[in-house]
Amino acid sequence: MNSNLKLRALRMVRVAWPVVLLCAFSLGLTALGFTQEKEKTEMTTSPWAIQVEPVQADEGQLPPDFSMAIYEDLIAQLTKSEKFQQVFRSGDKEADGVPNLLVLHMTLEKFERGNQTTRAVTTVAGATKVKVHLKVSTRDGNPVVEKDVQGTVRIFGENLKATFALAKDIATTLRNASLPAPAKGAGQ
Amino acid sequence: MPTARDNTRSCILLLLPLLLLCAGLFAQTADTSASAAASGVRSMHVLGLEGVKRNLHGTLTAQPSGLDFKAGGAHGTVAIASIQDVFTAQDSHQVGGKVLTVAKMGVPYGGGRVVSLFSHEKLDSLTVEYRDANGGLHGVVFTMPLGQATVLKKQLVDLGAHASIPVASEPEKQDGDTKK
Repeated sequence: MNSNLKLRALRMVRVAWPVVLLCAFSLGLTALGFTQEKEKTEMTTSPWAIQVEPVQADEGQLPPDFSMAIYEDLIAQLTKSEKFQQVFRSGDKEADGVPNLLVLHMTLEKFERGNQTTRAVTTVAGATKVKVHLKVSTRDGNPVVEKDVQGTVRIFGENLKATFALAKDIATTLRNASLPAPAKGAGQ
Repeated sequence: MPTARDNTRSCILLLLPLLLLCAGLFAQTADTSASAAASGVRSMHVLGLEGVKRNLHGTLTAQPSGLDFKAGGAHGTVAIASIQDVFTAQDSHQVGGKVLTVAKMGVPYGGGRVVSLFSHEKLDSLTVEYRDANGGLHGVVFTMPLGQATVLKKQLVDLGAHASIPVASEPEKQDGDTKK
């Protein structure tokens, strides 16, 4: 009789443990989801809007397709990050009336155009690299974020993929940056 | 017994039709690129056009209303008056996309690398900078077969688009290493 009970208990444990494990796993996932949601909510609370200026480079140093690709990719990434209230393009008249506005400037530090075929054949050579000096400042010129950021395509992908990597890196830098609270009447 | 002079003459007679054929083919290619640009160039929208997905293949035409891109249901236009600048460049890329890339990785003894040596093609890129109604700067990049971008740029300039670099003095090749 006793042994029967023991067997039954053992059988129940055998059946139950995967269910318990699954429950724990789903609880963990839910908790992670809550944390990410909270982080996302915190990210959207930034009271700043941002205006993106195209990359400043000496004539002939950065091809126009790369320059425009960095600019467009960056606008797309910043909009996706939801860190800022609004993302304005360079020259947008609507930005003039926005009180808490940050201006993003990029200056070209280094550009190295690689070759996709060289990358595919050698694996180690032919990388395309774009390095810019990032400066985010308030409208009156106070710097908020300053950093050198690089985008590289090493093995797979076309040369323009480097601009996507660069834009993504800049967006991550700004997402993780702690921005100061805007002063009352700042930028008015 | 044929003399050396006869041999030279026969060589010239053989080469002449070949040269004429090559010249004819070259002229035909140039005509084709011009006429193709007039009727629309098969191109890929890399980025920048509002309401059009990235890396979409379609037809690009220069019309009096503006630069027009059509791909299936997607349609985007850049008005001539809003164009700030037009640039052309050349680049090369690997053909075959992700499928061929994966297939090349599967070839043993590094055979994929040898395939890579022959599976590339050159292409033209056309970059257009323009401003929207609010004055916001936009940039659009298209890629197309070699020789088509200059023709399209010329058409856009003829229609009244602004270009800081004239069509004739456009750099021939930008596919080298550029370092700062």
